Amino acid sequence: MILIAFVLVSVLSLVVIAATRNHRQMNTACISQAVIFAALAVYVALFEQVPVVSFLVGSPDFFLDHLGLFEILIATVIFACAAVYARGYVEGLLESGELEKGSLKLFYAAWVLLLLIIVLAFMSDNLALFWIFAELTTIISAMLIAILSARENIDAAIKYIFVASISMLFAFVGFIFLFEISRVSIGTGTLNWTVLMQHAAVFSPGMMIAAFALVFVGFAAKSGIFPFHTWLPEAHAKAPSAVSAILSGVLLNVGIYGIIRVYALVHQTTAVSTIAPLIAVFGILTIGIAALSMLPQKNLKKLVAFSSVENMGIMLVGLALSTPVALFWVLFHIMAHSLTKASLFFSSGILHRQYRSRFSADAADEIRDVFRLQPLAAGGIILGGLAIIGMPPFPIFFSEFFILLQLGAVSLEVLVVILVLLFIAAAALGYFVLTSFTQITEPGAPSDIIPYLTPASMKVPIVILLALLVVIGITLPAGGMEFLNQIVTELKF
Amino acid sequence: MIDTAVVVGIIRILFVCIIITAAYIISTRNLLSVVSVYALQSLTLVGIALALWSLEGSLVLLAIAGVTFFSKVLIIPYFIATIQEKIRIKRDIEFHYLNPTTSLLISMALMLVIYMALETILKDTPARDNSLFFFGAVLGISLMLMGMMVTFSRKRAITKVLGFLSMENGVLLFGMFVTELPFIIEFLIVIDLIIVVILTAILSVGIDSTLEDYHKRLHRFHLLEDEEEVS
Repeated sequence: MILIAFVLVSVLSLVVIAATRNHRQMNTACISQAVIFAALAVYVALFEQVPVVSFLVGSPDFFLDHLGLFEILIATVIFACAAVYARGYVEGLLESGELEKGSLKLFYAAWVLLLLIIVLAFMSDNLALFWIFAELTTIISAMLIAILSARENIDAAIKYIFVASISMLFAFVGFIFLFEISRVSIGTGTLNWTVLMQHAAVFSPGMMIAAFALVFVGFAAKSGIFPFHTWLPEAHAKAPSAVSAILSGVLLNVGIYGIIRVYALVHQTTAVSTIAPLIAVFGILTIGIAALSMLPQKNLKKLVAFSSVENMGIMLVGLALSTPVALFWVLFHIMAHSLTKASLFFSSGILHRQYRSRFSADAADEIRDVFRLQPLAAGGIILGGLAIIGMPPFPIFFSEFFILLQLGAVSLEVLVVILVLLFIAAAALGYFVLTSFTQITEPGAPSDIIPYLTPASMKVPIVILLALLVVIGITLPAGGMEFLNQIVTELKF
Repeated sequence: MIDTAVVVGIIRILFVCIIITAAYIISTRNLLSVVSVYALQSLTLVGIALALWSLEGSLVLLAIAGVTFFSKVLIIPYFIATIQEKIRIKRDIEFHYLNPTTSLLISMALMLVIYMALETILKDTPARDNSLFFFGAVLGISLMLMGMMVTFSRKRAITKVLGFLSMENGVLLFGMFVTELPFIIEFLIVIDLIIVVILTAILSVGIDSTLEDYHKRLHRFHLLEDEEEVS
């Protein structure tokens, strides 16, 4: 039933988009879709028994447990904010001719489909279904990247499709392994996650290692983990900023979500003692590569994109610790990172409109007089930057602190290495802000910069997200904590 | 009913055909023949699926053979050949990182490695005990990695697609021999394949031409709406 509701709402939005020629109406359709989705998710979270029985969901191949609901809530909040942001942003793109009017319908239709498919992916109980939805998210988001009339966008989109789709084929082979494992142990082959969870304890560890390794290759590419992160900075920097926020805040979660689901299966077998160090190594390498790439970065959007890579590494390290407390804070980190990163991309989107180089998206941003021209975006970058490097009272402080605390109990050396790397990443952000935000034209000197009149719709989402982060960070709401605890229990950690 | 030994013999011959086509896709520079060899490779897969069906009698295999025949022997090769004609590329001479000879040597080494790896991994499964099925699994993964090398070493997006398609053939082969996947899963992967092919083909039309030209072509293919007043 819920499934049908989600699909119906999306179909309605698509009909509106197809029928109208007005940009604002198309945009409103997108905002309403995200808000209704969020309302549905909140309704289920508050008033229904979770995990939801399959009758209510509408199909035995789908389910809705706390983890899925949690991801859907994050996704819908970010989509709603991004859709509001797109209202002003896309208008700017149309005016400057970067987006053709003819592509507008395609843009919004892809947007609506993307949210629907992401929600369906998080609701899939059958891992093969989850796989196909995850693959479709790659394809549709690549369309959203390629939609700008620039050759480098097409380059970035093609790179994204190839890296992600090729890796996802490995994940598919991993699922074939998983199917065969279940056929050997249970008798009938299945890819139904709930069923697999019930029997995971008797699975053969050797094959589980192979299956996990293959699945990991696929979803690591989706979430931008080293060495499959190569597509990420390109795609995130070149996509329209509203799309960048979605890519970083929602699509990376799809990859991590897949890893968590399969890791929960591995966690019940003895294979976990082989797998955990493996993903820890990948996590540390990811943090390292991201931090070192951030240091010389002169392009704000690329800097923020590499920071996403770094955060994915932190999540992997947390997951590798495999304790309930670590998993709890990994989940918290997923939420905190998504909200923070979306707000950062919104702010850098405004700066990008103001200072973008006419020649290439790769060029260094020539930021001048930022506090006079774009005070809100500058503040958004500074506050968002503080939030992403883990300053209190922002939520990332808590997740990083407790993950690192758990790590310290296992290995002090690794803790020191990661602390140094996190410091480098923080320094890179700080250095960028210090050097570029202090460029001021002397009073009286002629300035040839034309101020970009930022529409209110581009400012509101930044304020909302930052306020939300502060509230979550200061209050750490008990209901939310209980919700996360239930996820940890359901994953049998 | 045909004698089992004959069918097994046929499957083995088809295995050899698969290896030859994979080697050809890695090494040839003529784009049009890459497409026809890909179609041939898919046809070989159809043959294997049919042979397995006559061995096991599972209807899923028959369905797989049908879907593979229509999608990968007819529709996709035809589509790619059309696109190639439009963008007027005949040859793909440039290679990244690996030249064809090195690729071929590497793929031979890969097959050995995969053989040894699968021998340990598949220890407890029925597939390991049957040499035919085990060899099918090894070949599937090898085909997949050979396809991946094509996507790495080719420069043009359109040839990269063919590498990707060849990888997917490997996945299908692996799936057929290791386990009995439900048909719906095989079907989903074909849908995914078709979408990836269409999208990358459209995008590669853009990459292989200047941008103004690209938009003109999109209009010609009716892929983009005409300019209209949007307020």
